[in-house]
Amino acid sequence: MRDTRRVTYLALLVSVGLVLSIIESTFPPLLPLPGAKLGLANIATVIALYMFGPWMALEVTVLRSLLAGILRGSVIGLFLSFSGALVSTLVMIALYVVFKKKMSMIGVSTIGAATHNVVQLLAAFLLIQHVALFYYMPYLLLISIPTGLFVGFASRRVVTSLEGLSLEAV
Amino acid sequence: MLLAVGDAKKRGGRFWGLRVADVVAVCLVLVAAVGTMVFLTGSRSSTRGGLAVIEVNGRVVNRIVLGEDAKKTTYKVKGRNGVSVIEVQGGKVHMLESACRDQICVGMGWVDRAGQAVVCLPNRVVIRITGSRNGSKVDTVTE
Repeated sequence: MRDTRRVTYLALLVSVGLVLSIIESTFPPLLPLPGAKLGLANIATVIALYMFGPWMALEVTVLRSLLAGILRGSVIGLFLSFSGALVSTLVMIALYVVFKKKMSMIGVSTIGAATHNVVQLLAAFLLIQHVALFYYMPYLLLISIPTGLFVGFASRRVVTSLEGLSLEAV
Repeated sequence: MLLAVGDAKKRGGRFWGLRVADVVAVCLVLVAAVGTMVFLTGSRSSTRGGLAVIEVNGRVVNRIVLGEDAKKTTYKVKGRNGVSVIEVQGGKVHMLESACRDQICVGMGWVDRAGQAVVCLPNRVVIRITGSRNGSKVDTVTE
């Protein structure tokens, strides 16, 4: 029974993430910068982290970015988004575990957004091998502040609203 | 559900419910952004560069000597997507036009200090300023 619930919540969060990334892909680009995305799908990861713990967050991220990459059908895109999402989730989990009381999901998701962009840039560097790529670093870091904050506030809104419900899992 | 919404509002409190560590986190990212910006624009070197090296796809295609009294000159380079127009005037150089979608390189403005660069990634065109007039390998290590 417990397992069934857990799998259901996992599936729910993965599909939320997938739908959010599809919605996001219909938006016009936020800034004319490659990689400067809102990162809506990260909302699913943050929710998973705060409602079900680190393992759930990791599983949601891995499944979501793999599925999104396959759906989009680009191997390079899969590599870029998967590496960024995985490392940023690991960093967010570390922050969540270490600063559980001190840092809320707003700060966690901001750092997560920044790590995502930095790692994605490093991954892109592995593919393109062009030092000029690093000139995008300041812009990508800067844009990750508003996007990370937005994701953080959105996730907190969802988590505080769901707190009243009894979601027994794990 | 209505109760839950009320809870969320209460929880918001002062400063949208931000904690000190959240503000620290945002500041950290900001510092990292400014830090990389300062590092990359090479504001440490205040010497005016003597040479603009133009690269396409990592290969040097042109070297322009930057003189203080130089007249306005434009150079055309063929990049990956099309032609980039580079303008040189009075020891400074900038990207005038570029065949790229985002036009970030055009927005980067004028550069004249050694170590600075104008980069157009989509078109794979890079203008780098080097300190010396021969553009030897040593000047490119800062990257």
